[in-house]
Amino acid sequence: MGVPIKISRGIHLISAFWTMALAVLIFGDVMGRQLFGAPIPGTKEILQNSVVSIAFLQLPLAIYSGSMLRTSVFADAVPPLFRKVLRTISAILGVGVFVALVWSTSDSFADAYRIGEYEGEGSLRVPTWPVRGVVLLMSAFVTLAYIQMIILDWQGKLMGELEAPGAIAPGNTD
Amino acid sequence: MGGDIVLWMLGLLIILILLGTHIGVALAVCSGLGVYLMIGSYEAAISILGNTAYEAVRKDVFVVIPLFVLMGDFISRSGAASDLYRICDRALKRLPGRLAIATIAGNTVFAAVTGVSIAAAAAFSRIAYPEMKKAGYKQTFALGAVAGSACLGMLIPPSVLLIVWAILTELSVGALFIAGIIPGIILALMFAAYVVISVMHKPEIAPAFKADLVPLTRQEVRSELIGGLGILGLIMLVIGGIWQGFFTPTEAAGFGAIGAFVIGLIKGMRGKEILEAIYQAGRTTAPIMFLLIAAQMYSRLLALGGAVSFIQGLFFSIGAEPWMIIALMMVIWIVLGMLVDSVSIILLTVPIFAPIAAVLGIDPIAFAIFGILVIEAGLLTPPFGLLVYTVKGAVPDPSVTLGQIFWGSTPYFILILVAALIVLLFPGLATWLPDIMF
Repeated sequence: MGVPIKISRGIHLISAFWTMALAVLIFGDVMGRQLFGAPIPGTKEILQNSVVSIAFLQLPLAIYSGSMLRTSVFADAVPPLFRKVLRTISAILGVGVFVALVWSTSDSFADAYRIGEYEGEGSLRVPTWPVRGVVLLMSAFVTLAYIQMIILDWQGKLMGELEAPGAIAPGNTD
Repeated sequence: MGGDIVLWMLGLLIILILLGTHIGVALAVCSGLGVYLMIGSYEAAISILGNTAYEAVRKDVFVVIPLFVLMGDFISRSGAASDLYRICDRALKRLPGRLAIATIAGNTVFAAVTGVSIAAAAAFSRIAYPEMKKAGYKQTFALGAVAGSACLGMLIPPSVLLIVWAILTELSVGALFIAGIIPGIILALMFAAYVVISVMHKPEIAPAFKADLVPLTRQEVRSELIGGLGILGLIMLVIGGIWQGFFTPTEAAGFGAIGAFVIGLIKGMRGKEILEAIYQAGRTTAPIMFLLIAAQMYSRLLALGGAVSFIQGLFFSIGAEPWMIIALMMVIWIVLGMLVDSVSIILLTVPIFAPIAAVLGIDPIAFAIFGILVIEAGLLTPPFGLLVYTVKGAVPDPSVTLGQIFWGSTPYFILILVAALIVLLFPGLATWLPDIMF
């Protein structure tokens, strides 16, 4: 049960370091342009493709750690069992959305891969299938995360009715 | 026809959100369902979801969100906030209620290096509140200063709310950042004036005390020097860079994240703290990015159903005066502010409100600052003001109750609404700096 959560934490860390790497890339791009008149080619393309990937790579852990934004105004006022049912409905809707995403992205991913879809102009042309692939894989992972959250919830294993055990880094107190 | 479906979907959206569905998921469900009902093809509905997921945040400007959040987390964990607080405290020696004013001043400066109010509220609950308590300040007064002044974080750039608003309305992120500066400073001055006036009126809520004359150790001087100069440098780099047109907001965010990382290193952050900052930044960023994606699905639904002109028609057909429409928007924002977080409020309402405001002839930049002020005020209102809960969670004093924090921050709530109306009446306060920029 804990393995997907560990994986989601690993992926999350990768995306976090990726964010840091983007900062370094921007730094290098601006410095190169100012000092040597030579910006790093393709910075814009790297940034825009990275930001989609980073957003999706961070999603599974956001589900496991209960960080997704929601309101508890109504849930706080009802008995625990009712609250659990509400959480399950919410998670089922989440499964529905991400199954739909897997479905529609798999077609566009397959097409992009098959025909070698590219974007960008000039010397730097970026294939679109890797990012589409990330969206596809992560949507599948999020679907799994939502299902797992339902199971953990009915097993009574969620911490504070919110968080899968082990989803937060040990020692992180906030 | 399309308008009816959009209204039904808005209703469903509100129900789902109230039942506690993840807001991004609720937006996606309603958009998918709405599109299906309108064009009758589930394949089209699903492919719109898929395309939006891929396209929605594929612009380099979206990188500003993870980067500015990262910058804020580095600064928060570096301990620079307590340096700031101590510097402000010493600089304000003669003022009545100086610990409360130092909280406000510290927050104003801290706001210029972080993008979310929550970070400021948590930091100053731990730093400033114990000092005020030790000095014998009245509890509600001290708590109000911490919770109220945390609102400055959303107005003073860089701010996640300003970024999200700019992206939704296709305003320039840089211009909106610069627009927040003067209203932010005015609000801070109003807060400080409130503190001074109420302490002069009732000195017992904030007893004056002799500062201990123990000279600072070299280590303390060094720490404050690094923290103070570092933050000052970071502000000049990020906001100055944008204002001078030297940086795009994306570039400023990149430099800001690296600058904050360097400050953290100098102030002694090591592997574990750095990892935690990076980790925490991701946990803040991911839900916001997903909301942005889902919100674009929702705007496609609104566009497809002609919702904006439909709702505009509703407003104008009942013969509402402009001020009534504005008042209605304020009420909706404040009510929503009791229920959901600020980013969600902006995503839900701004695609509808901003075009209406434009028809009313309100400058879009001034309207943005007005809206963000009102939405921020909602974070202080009972029963679910987010900042109040943050302060309660972070204050190292179990005797503090939520009621005390709400009560203490009421004056700040009123002042924020006053500031919002001032910006609406004098839009130049928001538009002047962006106009002379570059």
